[in-house]
Order: sequence, then structure tokens, then C-alpha cells
Amino acid sequence: MFDAALSGLIHVFQIDNFLSLCGGVFMGIVFGALPGLTATMGLALLIPFTFTMTPAAGLIMLAGIYVGAMYGDAIPAVLINTPGTPAAIATTFDGFPLTQKGMAQHGLVAAAVASSFGSLVANVVLTTAAPPLAEASLKFGPPEYFWLGIFGLTIIATLSSGFIVKGLLGGAVGLILSTVGMSPLGGDVRLTFGYPELQAGIELIVALIGFFCLPEILTSIVGKRQESYTSQKVIPKLSVIWEVIASLFKRPLLMLRSSVIGTVIGFAPGAGGNIASMVSYNEAVRWDKHPEEFGKGTIKGVAASEAANSAMAPGSLIPLLTLGIPGSPPAAVILGALMLHGMRPGVELFSVHASVTYAFIMSLLVAAFLVTIIGCFGSFVYARIINIPARYLAPAIVFMTVLGSYAIRNNILDVWIMLLFGVIGYVSNKLRFHPAPIVLGLILGPFVEEGLVQSILAGKAGGSVFLYMTARPISGVLIAMSVMSALWPIFAKWREKRRSRKAASDRNMEDSHA
Amino acid sequence: MLNADLIIGFSSIALAGVVFVATRDLSRLGGLFVNYTLVVIFILSALMLIKGFVKPQRLSFFDSSDERNNVIIGVIILVVYLILMPLVGFLPASYLFYAIFNLYLAQDRWSWKNILRSVVISAVVVTVFYMVFRFLLAVPLPEGKWFE
Repeated sequence: MFDAALSGLIHVFQIDNFLSLCGGVFMGIVFGALPGLTATMGLALLIPFTFTMTPAAGLIMLAGIYVGAMYGDAIPAVLINTPGTPAAIATTFDGFPLTQKGMAQHGLVAAAVASSFGSLVANVVLTTAAPPLAEASLKFGPPEYFWLGIFGLTIIATLSSGFIVKGLLGGAVGLILSTVGMSPLGGDVRLTFGYPELQAGIELIVALIGFFCLPEILTSIVGKRQESYTSQKVIPKLSVIWEVIASLFKRPLLMLRSSVIGTVIGFAPGAGGNIASMVSYNEAVRWDKHPEEFGKGTIKGVAASEAANSAMAPGSLIPLLTLGIPGSPPAAVILGALMLHGMRPGVELFSVHASVTYAFIMSLLVAAFLVTIIGCFGSFVYARIINIPARYLAPAIVFMTVLGSYAIRNNILDVWIMLLFGVIGYVSNKLRFHPAPIVLGLILGPFVEEGLVQSILAGKAGGSVFLYMTARPISGVLIAMSVMSALWPIFAKWREKRRSRKAASDRNMEDSHA
Repeated sequence: MLNADLIIGFSSIALAGVVFVATRDLSRLGGLFVNYTLVVIFILSALMLIKGFVKPQRLSFFDSSDERNNVIIGVIILVVYLILMPLVGFLPASYLFYAIFNLYLAQDRWSWKNILRSVVISAVVVTVFYMVFRFLLAVPLPEGKWFE
């Protein structure tokens, strides 16, 4: 295996393959960074170009696009509070507050380094342990997806500052929005109100742009006439790169935990980077010594989200390469590319086509390093974008969001939905009803619904719905994690109260001694 | 000062009511999740209303009348842009939107220098993105009913 990996690495460094990879990473970053363009779209659009290339060069370019896009989506998330793809939603929670503090470069570098680290960890797993993990991925059935969705929803407890009922209500509203369109089981057309375009449901990226990007522009730039997005001008410095790298590598546990979460969620077919990044963010808040720093602009939050969503990419290739089951939509497009080049997933891929397969796997690894270099040095350019006066930047952003919302399905209704969500997001922000739980519900709704309904059907056929949903090992672990995650804020509050009480009594003791 | 809890509670109940009425003819499988979620929304909305009556969170919506007017005009510019797009086509509507929105956000709005700058920047930004999406990515953008 190591010989094959080494030969794959040599393949990647052949000049034409390496240029394909660099081109792919660059295009991936562009696709990821433009809201409305996704990694899936980029891969699908560029597959025809790989026909004229050798299978290795073609697949290496696709690997570059995939890895590049998983980082690229962090750029608008950090700079303008708009995730380039749904996988970067949790990046906005701390990325944009960093930008508002004039620390956009910190956020961008943290995203690049964490993306590379996540990708690196997942690649090591992909290279060394793909077959047993692929078998484990088959153990994910409807109850596991249901509990994974519920576990994801427990992040609401973390996101809700203040009255938790408000956050839960937002999550429930998001779940209802996720039911718009064709029901996954039964085929009913729901809540389309006569618009056939809505049968495919509400497009996630449209909701993200609406809820996150527009309210920010309406509040600061249009409403308050702020002249720029940030309180102070961003001046990129070389020292920031080292400072951020050093700070992140002082937290190996955070980086490793986030990467493992991303890899594990990646190899569960269907669960995408958006779930990975949110679960990872939640865990980062839960286990950090200073959870109060999250949401106010810390590189730890950006790193947790980005390491996980980038680890998801190689993770989703584990079941793809070994079993032919794509773990994510971009992986499904890569499956198409493999088939077009006459390569069938499974044992054949690691024997007959071993040189191309390992070249592909190694290219994911090299792409991760390229992302670090492009991301760190590119931050000098990207970070300056935010210095452009708001009167020029805001119309350009609104124009791009309109274009992006339209381009996803070539549908003007999506643009109207984006505007509607933008206004709702603005109003709800003013009412301190943060839209993040709504978006969370919208993302997780399909998982929860499909898992629940399928589990009920299968459970009834097997004799007991309750047993079917709870008595499976992975379900048990997910239930325990969900309960822990939901109760954690209460425990954390109790612990803090106890600490402050103890500190007060210690002080009293010292005073009485004195 | 607005009672935020009451607004959120009543709006959620209204939303749940609309969804309830619109989903009564669904099959058992199609309606299962919707019904469970509606029950959750009704319970949580009721809790919000109770909080709204017992310990309300009061806040002012706009800091000033200027802010209110700015936001309303900004939204109107966007709505007009979206109405115009399918009629006159993506390109003319976008040129117009960018230039007007840019002028609207400028301090010294109606000086010739400002108008000229807005028009030039609008032409460059919109044309570049139009070219990329229309020709490189082959996204069919609205051509405009008036010119068909």
C-alpha cells in the first residue's frame, strides 16, 4: 500500500498533473467563494474537460476542485457573513465577528490552515483505513440518520443566547420550512402554494444568503450608513500568518477532534459538510475552557468549522472508492467521472487501477498543502476586499447574491425567496430572534424526517418502533451524545455558578483571616 | 417599545396555522413529520406568549426614523430590481440597480462626478459577472420579456 501511495505521489508531481492540480485548486476556491456556485456544480461543469486528459490528470484536477472549494467557501463566510456553500455556515459564527473587529486576515488564515489540517487527517484515514470504515458506514440506517439529525439540532442549545425556547422555536420553524416540496416518503407535494418551482424544496444556499448576508447589509450599510464593513481598516501582515498557525497548533485537540468529526460524518453517506461543521463547532464550544469567546470572533470557532468541513471531503470518498456509495453530492459527481474513465469502485480500483487511484488520493493530500499556501498568502488580497468602501462593495455583494440565487436553478422565484428571507432575517435579528437555528432546522429537517418516517415503518414491520430506534449500537451512542449536548449548557451554567460561589467564599475566608 | 416575545409568539402561531390548514390533505407518511413539528411549534409559541405576558423583552425596532427610511428605500430598490429583471432583462436591470444603489449609498449623491463614477463601475462589475456566468458557466440569465 505504501509503495502504491508513493508511486501515486510521484504521479501527482509530474508537471502536467501538478499543473492540473494547481488549476483545480484555484478553480475550486473560486467556485467555493462565489455564493451560488458549489463544489458539486464546479465538478459537474468541469468533468467534460477531463475527457481529453489522461484519467490520472483528470481525476487530479477534480480532486483539486473539491479540496479548493471546501476552503473557498470560508472566504465570503469570513468577509461578508455569507457562506460560499452550506458547509461553511458555522464559519460565519466567528469568522464575520473577526472581520468586524478588523481581524479578517486572522479568520482567513485560520480557515486555510484548519482546512488543510482537516483534509490531511481525513486523507491519512482514507489511505490507511478505507475498507473497514466503509463497512462501518453501511451500518448507518434510518434510526442513525434520525439521531444524527437530532444531535445536530442540539447545537441550538449552544447557539441560543438567553431564552432557549426562542432558539428551539427557530429550529422548529426551520424544520417546517424544510418540508416545503415533495415529501421523501409518500410523494405528497407540500406547501408549494401553487408554485411548481417549489416542488424541489427551498434551496439551502438561497436561504443562507437571505438569512445571513442581506440582513447584515440592510442593518449596517443601508440602515446605519456605515461607510465600511469593519470598524477599522484591515492591514494584512505576514506576522498574522505565523501568529495564527502557532495559535492553532497550540490546540491540537481542537484541530484533531474537528477533523475526526468531519471524517466520520463524511463517510456516513448523505450527511454533508454542513452537518460536520455544525457538530464540530458545537463540540468546540462545549469542550473549550472559554466558551464565552465563541460567537464573538475567535479563530477557534473558524478552525473547528473549517477543519471539519474540509475533512468531510476525503471522508466522503471512503465509501465511494471502496463500495461505490458516494458520501456527499460532490462525491457522487466524482463517481460519475470514475465511471466515465472506465474505473469501477471496489477492489478493482485498488488493484487494476491502483496507480491512478493512489494518484487521486495523494492529490487530495497535496491539494491540502496548496490550500494552505494559497489561503495564507491569498489572505493578503482577500482581506483587503473588505476595505473597499461600502457604497461600492454592498451593491456588488447584493448583485452577486441575486446572481448566485438565480444561477442555482435558473429560477427567479429563488431570488424572491432570498429577498423574503433577507427581510425576515432583518426583522428577526431586530427582535433578537437569531436566524441561525432556523437555518439549522432547514438543513437537518430532511435527515430527521426521512430517518423518522423510515424508522417508524421499519420498526412497525419488525414489531417495535421504540426498540428499532434505540437498541442499535450507533443509535445508542448518538442518543447519549444528544442528551449530553442538550444538557451541557445547563451543566456549564451550574459549574460556573459553583465556581463563582467558591471564589466568593474563598475571598471571604481570606478577608476574615486578614 | 415593542414586546418582542409577543411578536415572535403570535407570528409563529400564525405560520403554524397557515401550515396546518395547507397540509390537511396529505397522506399519512407525507403528513407525519409536519404534524409532529406543528405540535412542537404550538407548544413553543405558547411558551413564548407566556413569557411575553409575564416577563417581556421590550426593545425598539429602529434606532431612528432615518434608519427606518433608509431600510425601506433599500428594500424598495431591491424589489424594483427583481420586478424589472424578467421584463427588461438581466443586464439592463442590473446596470440600473448597481448604479442607483451605489448612488443611494453615496454621501454627495447627485454630483456629476458621482453619477459618472457609479455608471462606469456599474458597467464594469455587471458586465464582468454577466460574461462569466452567461458565457463561461453557460447560465441562461433572463433576457427580458419586453425585448422578445
